[in-house]
Amino acid sequence: MEELYYQTLKETLYHEKLDNGLEVYLLPKVGFEKTYGLFSTRFGSVDTTFIPLGENKMITVEDGVAHFLEHKMFDMKDGDAADKFALLGASSNAFTSSSRTAYLFSTTSHENECVELLLDFVQELAITDKSVEKEKGIIGQEIKMYDDDPDWRVYFGSIENLYQNHPVAKDIAGTVETVNRTTKEMLETCYKTFYHPNNMMLFVVGNIDPHVTMKLIIDNQNKKHFDLPQPIVRREIKEPLDIKTPLVEKTMDVEMSKIIVSIKVNEQLKTPLEKLKRELSLNILFDLLFSKSSKLYNEWLEKGIINDSFSANFTQERDYAFIQMGGDQDRYLELKDQIYDFIEHIKDIKFNLEDFERIKRKNIGNFINVYNSPEAIANLFSRYYFEGIISLDIVDIISTIQLEDIYSVMKYFDLKYTSTFIVKK
Amino acid sequence: MEKNYMMKGYQLHLIPTTKFKNITISLKLQNKLDLKTVTKRTLLSFMLVTGTQKYPSTQEFSKFLENLYGMKYGTSVTSKGKSHIINMNSICINQEYLPYQEDLLTQQIQMLNDVLNHPNAMNHLFNEQMFEIKKRELKERLIVQKDDKFSYSLEKLFEYMGKDQPLGISTSGYLEELDAITNEELFAYFKQCLMEDHKHLYVVGDIDDSIVSLFEQYLTLPEQNHTYDTSYHYQVYRNDIQEIIEEQDITQSKLNIGYQIDSEFMSHNHYATTVFNALFGGFSQSKLFKVVREQHSLCYYISSSYDAFNGIVIVNAGIERKDYQKTRELIDEQLKLIQQGKFSDEELDIIKGMLKNALTRSKDESLSMISLLYNRDITGKEETDDEYLSKLMAVTKEEIMAIAGTMKLDTIFLLTGRSE
Repeated sequence: MEELYYQTLKETLYHEKLDNGLEVYLLPKVGFEKTYGLFSTRFGSVDTTFIPLGENKMITVEDGVAHFLEHKMFDMKDGDAADKFALLGASSNAFTSSSRTAYLFSTTSHENECVELLLDFVQELAITDKSVEKEKGIIGQEIKMYDDDPDWRVYFGSIENLYQNHPVAKDIAGTVETVNRTTKEMLETCYKTFYHPNNMMLFVVGNIDPHVTMKLIIDNQNKKHFDLPQPIVRREIKEPLDIKTPLVEKTMDVEMSKIIVSIKVNEQLKTPLEKLKRELSLNILFDLLFSKSSKLYNEWLEKGIINDSFSANFTQERDYAFIQMGGDQDRYLELKDQIYDFIEHIKDIKFNLEDFERIKRKNIGNFINVYNSPEAIANLFSRYYFEGIISLDIVDIISTIQLEDIYSVMKYFDLKYTSTFIVKK
Repeated sequence: MEKNYMMKGYQLHLIPTTKFKNITISLKLQNKLDLKTVTKRTLLSFMLVTGTQKYPSTQEFSKFLENLYGMKYGTSVTSKGKSHIINMNSICINQEYLPYQEDLLTQQIQMLNDVLNHPNAMNHLFNEQMFEIKKRELKERLIVQKDDKFSYSLEKLFEYMGKDQPLGISTSGYLEELDAITNEELFAYFKQCLMEDHKHLYVVGDIDDSIVSLFEQYLTLPEQNHTYDTSYHYQVYRNDIQEIIEEQDITQSKLNIGYQIDSEFMSHNHYATTVFNALFGGFSQSKLFKVVREQHSLCYYISSSYDAFNGIVIVNAGIERKDYQKTRELIDEQLKLIQQGKFSDEELDIIKGMLKNALTRSKDESLSMISLLYNRDITGKEETDDEYLSKLMAVTKEEIMAIAGTMKLDTIFLLTGRSE
């Protein structure tokens, strides 16, 4: 077992790659009551066209299938996984993003039994045509809940605007129609292909003895048989540089309009470290521009074209990346003009070193704060792990960011790739 | 464990623990929940983040916080039955984790003192520009809240059910009262709060008794001896249940049901009610989730919750309009089953395990620890976490059946799509 000590955070991470390909990471937290286990697969809503394990032809499954599978995973041959966790005094949950699906438990007792149960319920699929049918009504209500949520509509709409082909523009849960067309066979094919241990990672943080827990995980995996892993072949997505549409307005029954301006970031960086530094640099840039301490933010605030709901974010995963800026605003056209003008002239903005160093300190503090919460630690770890980064390194990488790095990411602000989505009254 | 000190103008509670890499300080200001002051109190909570004499704008103040490794500082308002609370929370990295030694803790304490004793104000007025910005911010917040249909429909349930009761008073205030509040009036109210609000201050982190002298030195508040009521037993007489249906352009209907129950935070039934609620709809192992969602596929979310400070139970669910009656029947049926004792020992054990897990987990979250302690400190309830847990675990089947028997349907609020 590999043991890695992180000086700044004063944390020790334990790692082992098992014979079946499963990557296991353990982070003991002394003094904590809580233990949190997260079992993730590199399978998200964008993975709809691929070659199934053991076959040689590309197939396309329905949108929302990763999320559907997440719902059905809790069915076990001899009962419901959530109930079994409850019997151990633990709560369990799961979530699907565009690039991964994760299953988790949170407990304050029976830690090792919970780890085994987490492995066991995810490593078995027990579905029937009937149980698949029954889930459709529940997922349908989940989709409708998001349909009525204007924040989600504007967030997602602003991503849809950017992509002509990329499935990241499809709702994670799919639509009521795609859900209704989803079959037991589709779920089984996806399961077989993407839930191989070689495509997965287990992270446990909290009140554990790493040696005991690791041994238990190894013994558990040695008892199970898996086919030899094969590299997973996903369809290469051919996404044009240009955005799909520059402007969409949608009317909803809301009291205040919402706007998000989004920018498609086309440049594909080669290494995980380059990608991470791009993200950290953009986050620092957003803080310099739009945190409460910034001049620009306060100017816009005083003009009344933004309020405290305004935010700017950068998202990147796998082969796509985009910037989003916006918030709740009835004077959305004025705000749109202001943001477009800002994008056009961003190259003229200069920062002083004092402001830059201060924002860096703030970001360092934020990353240290994460290590007070097992959930936050696990979610951060899983999110960066599949991007090739061990999240405990981030706090030291922030220190290496220079002001030049901030200026260099300004190139992504390009009106040619900018779009706007408005939810209006 | 917790240590208490009587300071000048506030009670100081220290919760030393080495597990966190930061220090949480939470000051809570308590006064009566009152229709006449609730909007002012919320606006005041917004003003308490606009800086100090030394840092006289949000911009300057934010720079100061960022320099302290991004110290988090924010305010919020909550209701506890008949009381309204302004929370001032600050979380700062423990200086032990800094590359260079800096005294962050003293600055964290001084900051609170500056916000309250040296505010961003002059001549009995808050900084005028900040006042206007925050007034607009609250206005927009109150408007945009209505767009979250889940919380909007819940607020509506409280409004109808709680008419002429503390339950019916909105925690975050009223849009129509906001415009009339003047800077002068708000500043005067701020001074009044400093004199009259009951104040508790909590510190969680790697600290020892020596911190008491820092508080003596850096934070003093006006002495006061007001006390305020908190939990009460909601009781309204009705001939019929109230049923309100509102239509909007939405696709999913939001069902909210309020019940009276013979229990509140201080009553001996509190423990049985907590376990009853968990069995009824508090978790995804509860009856409502198992039956309405898992068996009948009628919804994605359904749950019940027990508001101990108002002494009520509520149920909410997102459903199709056509399933409204059916959902109500299923909910009624589950309640009846509990009243008749139709639940197994295993079900009860699971539910108690979930409650135990939830309670133990809060020991890893500084703000949850504070919130549990505060509930007891403002009600004068003498009880440790362990005592609370063992009382919950000792609740019997008969006690659950008995308390379930006192559930009385009071008000239904359904937010639904427009009928064709």
